[in-house]
Amino acid sequence: MKILVVEDEKGLAESIVDYLTKEGFICEVANTFWQADEKVSLYKYDCTIVDLTLPDGEGFGIIQTLKKIAATTGIIIISARNTLEDKIKGLEIGSDDYITKPFHLSELNARVKSLIRRRHFGGNNDMIWREIRVQLPSRKVFINEKEALISRKEYDLLLYFLSNIDVVLTKESIAEHLWGDHIDSSDSLDMVYSHIKNLRRKILDKGGKDYIQSVYGIGYKFSAS
Amino acid sequence: MASLVTYLAVGLAFYWIIKYMIYDEVESRLKVEKRDFETYIRQHDTWTNNSYFVENKIEVYPITGNFKNEVIFKDTVITNRYEGNEDPFRQLTFYTLIGGIPYRVAIRKSMIQSYKLIEAISAALITFLGLLMVCMYVFHRRLSDKLWQPFYDTLVKIKDFDWTQNKKLELASSEITEFNELGDVLEKMSGKMQYDYKSLREFTENASHEIQTPLALINARVEQFIQAKDLGKDHTYWIEEIYHASRRMSRLNQGLLLLAKIENQQFTDQEEIDLSGQVESKLRDFEDILSHKQIKVTMRSQGIFRKVMSLSLADILLTNLLNNAIKHNLHGGEITIETGNRHLLISNTGHPLKADPESLFDRFKKESTGAESLGLGLAIVKQICDNYGLALDYQNRENIHSIKIS
Repeated sequence: MKILVVEDEKGLAESIVDYLTKEGFICEVANTFWQADEKVSLYKYDCTIVDLTLPDGEGFGIIQTLKKIAATTGIIIISARNTLEDKIKGLEIGSDDYITKPFHLSELNARVKSLIRRRHFGGNNDMIWREIRVQLPSRKVFINEKEALISRKEYDLLLYFLSNIDVVLTKESIAEHLWGDHIDSSDSLDMVYSHIKNLRRKILDKGGKDYIQSVYGIGYKFSAS
Repeated sequence: MASLVTYLAVGLAFYWIIKYMIYDEVESRLKVEKRDFETYIRQHDTWTNNSYFVENKIEVYPITGNFKNEVIFKDTVITNRYEGNEDPFRQLTFYTLIGGIPYRVAIRKSMIQSYKLIEAISAALITFLGLLMVCMYVFHRRLSDKLWQPFYDTLVKIKDFDWTQNKKLELASSEITEFNELGDVLEKMSGKMQYDYKSLREFTENASHEIQTPLALINARVEQFIQAKDLGKDHTYWIEEIYHASRRMSRLNQGLLLLAKIENQQFTDQEEIDLSGQVESKLRDFEDILSHKQIKVTMRSQGIFRKVMSLSLADILLTNLLNNAIKHNLHGGEITIETGNRHLLISNTGHPLKADPESLFDRFKKESTGAESLGLGLAIVKQICDNYGLALDYQNRENIHSIKIS
């Protein structure tokens, strides 16, 4: 899976590339509009991550080019502009997702994976990790082929974990993934805790192993080790 | 009205001035006659009372007893011998000795001609002044209609001018230099306003971008850092602090930018929004946290509260209000939402308010000292209400806090 990261802030581009490389993606970086334009015309990517504000142009231009020459490429916009108009414009022009800066790398990773799943398998495949199988279209979860009855939020949480295996997820990033940024109260962290507790119990009930590890003070990690 | 008063005053003044001048003339002539009379007496020391003529009549009466030697002017009326009219006269009375005997002498002069003169002049004056006034009035009306037309056109255009739009203010040039100058100044001013507004808007966006990007970098780096396997307890604690601080800063930045954007009225999209329905659908987003805190929500609908406003702002307004009602609520508390045709009332149970209710809607005034609270939520609510002319009212009865928008 090849991903192009178009971001002028070198440090941020590097972080994204590091993170996604660890997740098994092949990443390339473009720091300017023209670099991105050239790469997009020369190579084929499965997914492009585009920053809207570039020193020599608007990210919208790259999306338009992409739509013309490679319609199957998934496009995710990352931007500091958080107005509704920008988001609508981004989606209208053909991008698949819009993430506002600052974002969590784990969130970006989950969105990239979800986008690739949708693009390549039409969302019609199962996600299998060890004894856990997630049936994506019907939103059902099977542990050792036994169905576990989990709530909507628990499903979202499990999918987020499965997209970020062996990665420490902060409580804040989990809370934001589940409820968006409209809930800013400290209660959301308690809610993360209770959802994790429930999810862990439901997996254990069906004979699954306890993969959710708590990382002191910071968050949680889904790992087999 | 003012011109009418002036008109009357000028008329009266003219009347008095003419009257004064005529009297002065008559009196000086009377004085000359008095001198002639005295010269005659000094030479002849006798007087024959020949009072046949009405005009220039001189009356001489002997008097006995004491008398004051004084000279008096006065108005008098004498009956006309033929027509029986009473004619006005001016009379000069004085005392003198003729042949050693004291006499009172009265010299008269008819005022009939003078009065006629005054009447004629006054009538002419009043007529001309009246005509002048009518002419002035008509002239003024036509002048203000025609002359001020470009001014009124300009006024209409300024009233319609919206500096948040890109459309320039264009005024028609007129024949009047002053209005042209006014138009030039207004065009320059409006151009500057639009330019400033645009650059402010750009600045807001650029500032947002410039600050959010390094914050995104900090966040990303911290997230990478926490993946390291050999972190000590101290390190995790520090990293957590850095992470929290940067998250908080970015939320603060976003909140302040949002406030600035609302203040600058950058949310120009408008549609009629059913706030009652909106609040109900918004509640669904809060389902999890409501059940987590075991908060009971009661909806009471007495009508539908509609308001023409920006959809994004309506969403922010309701989110912040609900967030506020949940954040400051008790575990197992209650929220009551009441909607009417003209209002929306959200009340929640909670701890008694410690801060001044007046400052509740100020920036950075927060009730809880919790680091999670930014103290911007209600300030944003207030700003949105101000923008749309909504009244915002806070009331506290025992442990129930209510915020009413109407």
